[in-house]
Amino acid sequence: MRKTAANLLAAAALATSLATVFAGTATADPAVLPNSQDIVGVGSDTTQAVLNQLSADYNATVTNPSAPHLYSWDAIPAGTITTKSGATPITRPNGSGAGITALNANTSATVDFARSSRAPQPTDPTTDDFVALAKDAVSWAAPSGGNAPANLTTQNLKDIYTCTVTNWTQINASLPNATIKPFLPQTGSGTRSFFLTTIGGGTAVNPGACVTSGTQENQGSDPALADVNALVPYSVAHYIGQVYFGKGSGADVQGPLTIRSVDGTAPVDTVNKTISSAFAATPYARVVYNVFRDAEWTATDVHGTTLRAIFGRGGWICANGATTIKSFGFLPLSSFACGSVTHS
Amino acid sequence: MTRISARLASTGAAVVLALTAVSGAAVADTPATAPAAGQAVITTDVNFLSAAALKGIVVIPLQPANPTFDPNAGLTVTLPVSGGAANIPAFYGDVQFGGGLLFLNLSTGRSVTFKQFDFSVANGYFTAVPNGSTTPVPLLDPAGDNVINRNGLTQNLNSSSFQVDAEGATYLDAKLGTTFFTAGQQVGSLALSYTPAH
Repeated sequence: MRKTAANLLAAAALATSLATVFAGTATADPAVLPNSQDIVGVGSDTTQAVLNQLSADYNATVTNPSAPHLYSWDAIPAGTITTKSGATPITRPNGSGAGITALNANTSATVDFARSSRAPQPTDPTTDDFVALAKDAVSWAAPSGGNAPANLTTQNLKDIYTCTVTNWTQINASLPNATIKPFLPQTGSGTRSFFLTTIGGGTAVNPGACVTSGTQENQGSDPALADVNALVPYSVAHYIGQVYFGKGSGADVQGPLTIRSVDGTAPVDTVNKTISSAFAATPYARVVYNVFRDAEWTATDVHGTTLRAIFGRGGWICANGATTIKSFGFLPLSSFACGSVTHS
Repeated sequence: MTRISARLASTGAAVVLALTAVSGAAVADTPATAPAAGQAVITTDVNFLSAAALKGIVVIPLQPANPTFDPNAGLTVTLPVSGGAANIPAFYGDVQFGGGLLFLNLSTGRSVTFKQFDFSVANGYFTAVPNGSTTPVPLLDPAGDNVINRNGLTQNLNSSSFQVDAEGATYLDAKLGTTFFTAGQQVGSLALSYTPAH
């Protein structure tokens, strides 16, 4: 089984590399059923593509076929997944919050880590260790040629998402007299959670009745977002990956959306194809994480040692992942920050 | 640790504490005016202290830095937060500290004083400005396992390892006329607590 799996993995890795080179597409769910000792993650949509690539890159370095490999399950499509051999089938977690919930509801027999695009919250168990992966930012996007302006202030965004402001003319009298259509990602989305907290100045705002929830985050292809009055929060890194590095595929593309400025600061450095340094210094910048159970993260057994060797400070991702992380639009963290643990 | 090195470490610590008492008035840092609060507690390994003492090197905290000594835990130096604007969980900003550290080589009679300690959260190192200069030197690095959390407004960073920065080692060796300091040299551990101005 292991040799076959190794061969399959090698073939999958080759296929992945070829696909990446020729089509620029992101890999998706594991091509084979991971073994019970493999390290398996679920959760965030924002970081699923970069984790898929990091997993393929890491697995290509594992020469011992019986050693734990790294796998990551995408946030969609909806349904039930069996994450690894012997695992309890679970509803596929769609987003950071759902991934963290799955992590806490299961054991390493089913889920080893949760991808998270949000930081720890007071409601998270203190036994969840958020291990820093990279830096991202969240801005907002709207369809090209639509009625949204190039820039909105934090107060504008708060007013729009609390439905205090519902017409573009309330933002600026020169804008079209049309009803604003604010959208939010699904409730389990880390991007949604971070955005609502940031526009609230640190306290999450409650979306008003004018807001439509449930669009899949970072997917500008959603037909609802083609509306000229639409706007939606968007991961800047994910956008850069889609637009500049060809990392989108299928529905996971920017579609007609372009990412816009907040408080006069443009989120993208279009020359260097990265998050602008000015935007990275605003409250809209965020760290993205992988979340582990503390007892496993700190354990001295093979499992704990492997987790830290892959995700921890000086581990494989921190030592080797910067190029891949940048190619997906994220900013690599310093050697101090990468792999550091944060918890609530 | 040998009995001799332990004795030297204790002697060094005694020198540190004695000198601290008389050094404060002469070299006291500029009073902190920022409303930010907190501290950086550096717990120095007994092994580092004894090895330094064997080379004639002692480290003297300067007020308002506050030293304490425990034979098992080693020398603990507390640097009070004097200002800053940082979000440690998001890895950006800087935290400034009052007090200073005097590094003294008893073998050569040479010394260097560092003040204006600054923790660059993004870069993950402590810089300090040596006497006779205005240029900060990267001096110490939190290393090992870093654990960060919030408790209300207070941000905490605990680092299992606190090490000499490569640039700091070169600078210290040159200033003190020694080869004792090396990049990545284990000094001890760090516990940083920071409450932003509010």
